[in-house]
Amino acid sequence: MLKVKNLMVFFENALAVNDLSLEVNEGEVIGVFGSNSAGKTTLLNTIAGLTRHLKYREQRKGGMRITINGEIKYAGEEISRLKPSDRVARGIVLCRERHPVLRDNTVEENLKLGGYLRKDGEIRQSISSVYELFPALQKLKARKAGMLSGGEKEMVAIGMAMIAKPKLLLMDEPLLGLSPAMQHEVVRGVKEICRLGVTILISEQYARPIMPVIDRGYVIENGTMVVSGTGAELMENPEVKSAYFGA
Amino acid sequence: MVANLLIYGLVNSVVLMLTALGFSLTFGLSGVANFAHGGLYLLAGFLAWIFINSFGLPAALGMILAVIVVGILGALIYRFILMPVRGIVLSEVISTFAVGVAILEFFRWKGFVTYDFSLPVLVQGSVKISGVSIDYQRLLIIAIGLALALLLWFFTHHTRIGLALRGMSQDEYTALSVGIESDWAGMLSLALGAGLAGVAAVVILPLGIISINMGYDVLLIALAVTVLGGLESTTGLVVGSFFVGYAMVITSTYLGPQWGEVVYLGAIVLVLAVKPSGLFGKSKELEERV
Ligand SMILES: Nc1ncnc2c1ncn2[C@@H]1O[C@H](COP(=O)(O)OP(=O)(O)O)[C@@H](O)[C@H]1O
Ligand SMILES: [Mg+2]
Repeated sequence: MLKVKNLMVFFENALAVNDLSLEVNEGEVIGVFGSNSAGKTTLLNTIAGLTRHLKYREQRKGGMRITINGEIKYAGEEISRLKPSDRVARGIVLCRERHPVLRDNTVEENLKLGGYLRKDGEIRQSISSVYELFPALQKLKARKAGMLSGGEKEMVAIGMAMIAKPKLLLMDEPLLGLSPAMQHEVVRGVKEICRLGVTILISEQYARPIMPVIDRGYVIENGTMVVSGTGAELMENPEVKSAYFGA
Repeated sequence: MVANLLIYGLVNSVVLMLTALGFSLTFGLSGVANFAHGGLYLLAGFLAWIFINSFGLPAALGMILAVIVVGILGALIYRFILMPVRGIVLSEVISTFAVGVAILEFFRWKGFVTYDFSLPVLVQGSVKISGVSIDYQRLLIIAIGLALALLLWFFTHHTRIGLALRGMSQDEYTALSVGIESDWAGMLSLALGAGLAGVAAVVILPLGIISINMGYDVLLIALAVTVLGGLESTTGLVVGSFFVGYAMVITSTYLGPQWGEVVYLGAIVLVLAVKPSGLFGKSKELEERV
């Protein structure tokens, strides 16, 4: 479904993603593990088209030089040159890190906005299925999103992405900063989303809490892929185990 | 006397609010402080005058057409002038200010400097409200000002496009990730703000003679009112307008008309010194905003 080949991303002369290749098949849940500033966000943002947007923005005003090389193929099509909105329209939806929600809007307005490219009737239906996925949101729907806890914001952010109707859902550190109970709830949500037939690429610093839902994983360090394999295979590697599974 | 103050204070406040509405909306939705605001306002006035007097269009039609043309020009300003410098606040301010000056000085050069230019009032006549006589045009201004403020609130809170623009203004990358396009949002924000400047012009200008320097005054008023209320807040805009509006009427009644302008300029300085984010401003401080 998604094939990334020899992807390189430079911010000025700093290499954020270094010759990275990965593959995601339809229906899989794939993990990308790496420590802080390993390049996880850059990888997901590049797949979603945000890096390309930033690149042109900076180019126009003569700011930072960003270079993106390599191939990103989605459903057989080369998508590296597409705008973010065209990628969303094809089903590639990113749920960004640190659960960014629109703080001044209500939960329901946030969810509605997720369906920006869809029809009104479909949005209504999707919103009720998000409330089924995360029942806690139903009671909070009239609350300003800025007032929510981190876990609740994460549920709103995932809900927004779901209403955009992803075929490939990119999730950037959805568990970051959440309490164990909230992590559990989000992991349950991911399982449910996968059951609905959505393919998922998920990044995390620590692999253990998310491991139960992962089919395969990649470990990246300084932008470079170091190991890949099934969960069990990753666990067998002593260095990987101590770094990403907490010994 | 009191009834007089109350009623003309209300008129003045709504005039200020209408004058600033477009500037405030564009800033709130795209973060661009459009310093061409005064130029666009006057352009709408002169265009309406030309449509009505040189092309012989009916007054209402000429005015609507002028608003539309100025709205389109707003979108073009974004596309050709702001897009290349998007995000560099100082360049945005300087380049839009240059556009505004260019418009105003173009009309000066073309000889639009005599006392011949005024727009027709849409409804003739006047009424007496508790002893104070007020003309229908001023009542129309109040009605249109309040209706527009409500309409814009509805637009930004309950329509897909309005929500998208607000989303883009709060968090560009989140808006991008649900498929909203940022340049499209920027063009629309500028077009709406410019169109509102046009609406303000065609309903307010019939009260007097159109003169070029009003373009500069309009920009100052827009700055005063929005800085006072907090640049990104609609409530702030309304409260800021009423505060300055009544203060102007009270000082010019008791101290003389020349003090009216001192009030709004003084208000800017005072608010910036005491609470730089504006009376209703949330988090952002001035250096980020202007
Ligand atoms: N917008 C940016 N400008 C400059 N450097 C960046 C930018 N985004 C990321 N980087 C750099 O790219 C590297 C990878 O960062 P990131 O992708 O955010 O890692 P992670 O998400 O794994 O923590 C870091 O060295 C970071 O400093
Ligand atoms: Mg990251």
